[in-house]
Amino acid sequence: MKHFLSISLLLVLCASSPAIAQTKLRLRGSDTLGAKLLPQLAEAFKKQAGMVSFDIAAEGSSTAFTNLLTGTAEIGMSSRKVKPDESADFRTKGKDLREFEIAWDVIVIIVNKNNPVSDLKKKQVMQIFSGDIRDWSEVGGNPGQISIYTRNTSSGTYKDFMGLAMKSREYGSNSQKMAGNEQIAAEVGANPNGIGYLGLAYAHAKGTKIVTIEGAIPSTAEVKKYPYARPTFLYTNGEPAGTTKQFIDFCYSPVGEAIVTKVGFVPKSRAK
Amino acid sequence: MKDPAANSRPSLGSLLLKSQRRSFLGIEKQRAIRLFFASNSSVAIIVLVLIMLFLLREGMDFLPTYRHELETYRRAGLEFCDIIDRPLADHQQLCSKLRRAASASLNTVTNTARRRRDAAYEMMREVEEETRLQSSILADALVQIPPALPEHLNSVRQELRKATLIALERLQVSAVLTVAESQQLKSELALLSPEVLALPPLVTALSAEYIRVDDEAHTAFKPLVDAVESFEAVPDVLHTLLDEMKKHARETKARVTEIYGTEKQPPRQESVDFIRSIEALTSRVPELMGKVEEYALLAKKTAAALPREAGTPQATELLSEMRGLLPVHLAEMRQAAAGLPAWRHDKPVSYFDVIVAFFFGEAWITNSSWQDFFGFVPLLIGSVLIAVIAVLIATPFSVIAAIYTNQFASEREQEFIKPIIEFIQAVPSVVLGFIGISLLGDAIKGVSEWSWLQWIPGFPIQERLNMFNAACLLALMAVPTMYSLAEDALNNVPRSYLDASDALGATKLQTVFRVIVPAAKSGIAAAVLLGMGRVIGETMVVLLVAGNRIAIPDFSAGPGVIFQPAHTLTGIIAQELGEVSRGSAHWQALFMVGIVLFLISLLVNWCARAFVRQFEFNKS
Repeated sequence: MKHFLSISLLLVLCASSPAIAQTKLRLRGSDTLGAKLLPQLAEAFKKQAGMVSFDIAAEGSSTAFTNLLTGTAEIGMSSRKVKPDESADFRTKGKDLREFEIAWDVIVIIVNKNNPVSDLKKKQVMQIFSGDIRDWSEVGGNPGQISIYTRNTSSGTYKDFMGLAMKSREYGSNSQKMAGNEQIAAEVGANPNGIGYLGLAYAHAKGTKIVTIEGAIPSTAEVKKYPYARPTFLYTNGEPAGTTKQFIDFCYSPVGEAIVTKVGFVPKSRAK
Repeated sequence: MKDPAANSRPSLGSLLLKSQRRSFLGIEKQRAIRLFFASNSSVAIIVLVLIMLFLLREGMDFLPTYRHELETYRRAGLEFCDIIDRPLADHQQLCSKLRRAASASLNTVTNTARRRRDAAYEMMREVEEETRLQSSILADALVQIPPALPEHLNSVRQELRKATLIALERLQVSAVLTVAESQQLKSELALLSPEVLALPPLVTALSAEYIRVDDEAHTAFKPLVDAVESFEAVPDVLHTLLDEMKKHARETKARVTEIYGTEKQPPRQESVDFIRSIEALTSRVPELMGKVEEYALLAKKTAAALPREAGTPQATELLSEMRGLLPVHLAEMRQAAAGLPAWRHDKPVSYFDVIVAFFFGEAWITNSSWQDFFGFVPLLIGSVLIAVIAVLIATPFSVIAAIYTNQFASEREQEFIKPIIEFIQAVPSVVLGFIGISLLGDAIKGVSEWSWLQWIPGFPIQERLNMFNAACLLALMAVPTMYSLAEDALNNVPRSYLDASDALGATKLQTVFRVIVPAAKSGIAAAVLLGMGRVIGETMVVLLVAGNRIAIPDFSAGPGVIFQPAHTLTGIIAQELGEVSRGSAHWQALFMVGIVLFLISLLVNWCARAFVRQFEFNKS
């Protein structure tokens, strides 16, 4: 009886110790990073390191900073750089924001497959998305009202595109704010007059085609030559330690970089 | 012998059988039970009051915060820049008309060449799409390290060749290319591979032909094209000066944010030397006014250079439209410029201005690099329109179903219909949202393209996520509520009415439609209102399906406006609450929207109760 009790106690402890040792990494932020890339990196990391569980919620880059600030995330994924008033928030609350550039992403412009327009000038892109050009016939397409699909305001892609393509002008009031990359692809694929922007990793959706910008083809080979390429980041609260540090180092390792390339981004070391 | 005191003690049996008034802590059992039930119901009231207080507390802070934002907007000079910048945006509308006119004219010459070139590109793209897998394998094999063996490369090339030939078999030939040309193109496309960097010769030839024809068109329409280009360049005289001023205003605003961070109620802004930075702007007012005048004269001159006639009647109409709108635009610009000297940077922003800016503002712009505006009107219109359409769709169905099941249906039919309608309530709203995106949107769009339905205003529809789509799903959700309440109202009509009508010799139909339904009408009205209250608060469906366009719908399309996308009060809260930091102006603006939603729901429910009370009053 005595031995039975002690053995069962030992077994219970052994059974629960993995649960005690397993760490939980919460990742919050960008839909561009968090829909495909980070889940795949997380899977590969779990296979290698074990004892860690991931909780990924991708609702837009702005949520990365709000979550890091309140302490509900260990890593923030952002497809844009931190804004001055956000970093001011971190300073006033005494938290130290660390930035890690993880991959370069290319924002491509997509139109419906049946749209004859296949090349746009940078000025035309700005005019279309800010609502100055309202009809496809103004850029050489068939007459029809342009339907613009953008991300919503919590998205880093939304903000980056404003800076890269629109010289910080506001989007036109006729733009429709979709929740994620896949939804934009679905709507542009279904609407012959649709236009939208996406990360390159999502650009091969059914029914859409990529538009070249003044002849420049978006590709992962020469990413910095294409006008709408931008770096994406991981942020942490303070210097990362323990499992967080291991995960970030994993993202920079050759295995991590191979995954980054496979998904359709360009790893930091190879961006030129 | 028992003493008398012992006789007065009751036995156990009689104790249990006799009801006694036992009290615990001074509260008797009956009162205790009553108190228990009363406290449970008052918990509900207390929670409701707490919710209202919480909403009010978070939302009322919005007024001072937004007032501070608008004051900064004025003091840093951004409002000053917008006085000219806003009317200038109309110039783009005029340019848009000119561009459309120009391209309509050019198209008359270049149409065929363009379609041929596009057809060739389309065929090339189709083949590339079909062989994407094999060509990406070949591309990877060519760059892999260590280099691939020649046999492997050759076999991959063979695969690609085979796939290309299969794709070419399936290729649809366009009618704009001659038979010989299509054959030539097909044979050229068979050689498509990642190793060949040059485009097929026919494609290049067709592109060159298009460029040649395009040049011809430009020469033929030279006056029109030149006039359009020079009109587009007219605002440049203003833009250089305006961009400088905007940069200066932005820098001032950035200094304010840096010094005061994101505090809700910073102290008076005396550290930032507003007076000096504003003088940098106001000192240039005469220069700006001069530039506006220059712009107006230049615009008139270039517009006069536009030809009367363009290639097509459509283009000519666009040109005359533009000529009609130009004087209006120039008058607006001149008026704005005349108001410049009177602008003061330290004019105080009153709370009344803030309330007007929120409740009557027409732009909801957040996360902007210029200035955030929280205008409530587009969201309110979206919510109200969707709710009204949903109620209009749901009311006939639910009321007629209620009349049928209550008055005409047999027992078996009643037992069959009622549970099914009430089962609709069990479907989760997010599932309905999915159905809306995938099935209903495509269905409505497909129906709108039927040629015999084109008389309906708004057909064929442009967007598949629109207000009508959301309203249909919301109507489906409201039907069970309306149906049950309408049926209850019909049930509550006193039997004496039915008997009296029968006694007078009325038929069943006459009884139902002339006696029972009018008697139940306020109950039915209450049912409709409660259905509306249910619909106005629905979030998930409208967020997924209504199209999320934050703009007042274009009512000039008449009844077709219901096929346009819109955003709603509930949708904006759900969409933006994840990204706002607690206590910021945006956060508080969302809570204000929440307060208004709450009040609307309360109002609708109060009206419904008033109807029911009136019904009961009439009855007695």
